Amino acid sequence: MNADGPVVNVHVLFFAKSRELANTPRSKVDLPTEITASDLLELLVSKFGLTPIRDNLILAHNESYIDNLSERILFKEGDELAIIPPLSGG
Amino acid sequence: MMESEVDSEQSRLKREIAELRAALNRKEQCLRELEASVSSDASAEEQVVGNALESPGRAVHTKLTNDDIARYSRQLILPDFGVQGQLKLKNSSVLIVGLGGLGCPAAQYLAAAGCGRLGLIDYDEVERSNFHRQILHSESRCGMSKAESARIALLELNPHCEIHCHSRLLYSQNALHIIRGYDVVLDCSDNVPTRYLLSDACVMLRKPLVSGSALKMDGQLTVYNYGNGPCYRCIYPVPPPPEAVTNCGDGGVLGAVTGTIGAMQALEAIKVIVGLGDVLAGRLLIFDGSSGLFRNIRIRSKRPNCHVCSAQPLITELIDYEMFCGMHATDKDNPLQLLSTDERLSVKDYHAKLQAQPHLLIDVRPTAEFEICQLPEAVNVPLVEILDDSYLKRFGKQLEDKELPIILLCRRGNDSQIAVQHVRNRFPMHSVRDLIGGLHAWTNSVDPSFPIY
Repeated sequence: MNADGPVVNVHVLFFAKSRELANTPRSKVDLPTEITASDLLELLVSKFGLTPIRDNLILAHNESYIDNLSERILFKEGDELAIIPPLSGG
Repeated sequence: MMESEVDSEQSRLKREIAELRAALNRKEQCLRELEASVSSDASAEEQVVGNALESPGRAVHTKLTNDDIARYSRQLILPDFGVQGQLKLKNSSVLIVGLGGLGCPAAQYLAAAGCGRLGLIDYDEVERSNFHRQILHSESRCGMSKAESARIALLELNPHCEIHCHSRLLYSQNALHIIRGYDVVLDCSDNVPTRYLLSDACVMLRKPLVSGSALKMDGQLTVYNYGNGPCYRCIYPVPPPPEAVTNCGDGGVLGAVTGTIGAMQALEAIKVIVGLGDVLAGRLLIFDGSSGLFRNIRIRSKRPNCHVCSAQPLITELIDYEMFCGMHATDKDNPLQLLSTDERLSVKDYHAKLQAQPHLLIDVRPTAEFEICQLPEAVNVPLVEILDDSYLKRFGKQLEDKELPIILLCRRGNDSQIAVQHVRNRFPMHSVRDLIGGLHAWTNSVDPSFPIY
């Protein structure tokens, strides 16, 4: 990960199980302006304790699903990330 | 009689009456099923005789009756819906899988709106803990099959709706046969294996799947397998580990939250049938009931290498979904067996031998549950505080005494076993045990007036 480049502050929203694991509904993180999706996932999983659901979540950047983990994500100040695990109750 | 004896006699009688009523409903259900199977055998024979083994042709409605016009007038005058929309609905069939918190409101709105034929699948029976969210069931139908109970309520709402009950668990061997007969499927289930089963089956049969789910204050909704939209596996190729899945019985849920999602499932089904508006496919609606916020997340289109819905599928017939997910296709809890019998204590033994002696009784349920009911000497230390050792500070002095027995307790005797393992590692010289069956066992074996939730 490019640790020396410019960083921006990004909002992170947690839903369902991820909210319990992160112990908060929302947070903010400093992220590099450019990062691969897999590095981003790794970073969020370790920072917020999401290991149990790391393979079962939707990661959305500005309300769009990140479907390819090799994709490079570009962030700007104030962007929003959402972590959405499946819900199965009914 | 003393006041407490009167209380306990009252609650015993009430419970017995409720059990008898439930037993009566179950017997009536058996009779209905027997009668239904006899009559369906007879009609199958007639069909063979008449050489009409194909599914019986249904008459297509081309006109609304005067009753239809009066009944549906408020939606008929919607320009995008109109007579053609009503006729499409009248000629449509929808299968609702699960008649719980989502299925009840969904079925209610579909029947009320004039959906011609509804199929209802649920293996479960009505019980009191359902009523706060499963709004078709009622006190007098405790013990009855949920599908049957829903049918009775729906026919009262709209006698023109044709309703078929499937009072059994949906699984790989019966799913295709049942689903084939319907135009649209609603996933109102409460467990992960059924969600994969329904998604795969709907891909194979090319049926749109309106999928809703809810837990605590959260809800999710999307339509799978519609247009170029994805299936459940495109989004979640790997099932979650069982320990990351919470059911409504453990996590809780508000009826107004399941009601919101269930009503929206009915809405999406109507849009699919009528061809109205923009169907919620390729988008996931996230409802956060605590903040009142709805979000739409653009989800992917079909995954090009999806094992089921891609052009070259690896899975072409239904599999064993309980094995695939490592979970049961119900939301019922299975008792854990983490401890050997000498590490545990029955509630009767505790009551008879230990309760009057000095001991430390720790109730490891979450605080919200402890507030519902608790044993007199119990102190509340939620399981998380046991596991992160924050309880040590609170009991510093008491825990120095190796002679003081420690008893751990929870609702059903699962979490208490996890707690025993943890506390015992830290205090190997102490007597650390849990109560088998937890508070449920306490009510059943010691004090029938103690509440059950």
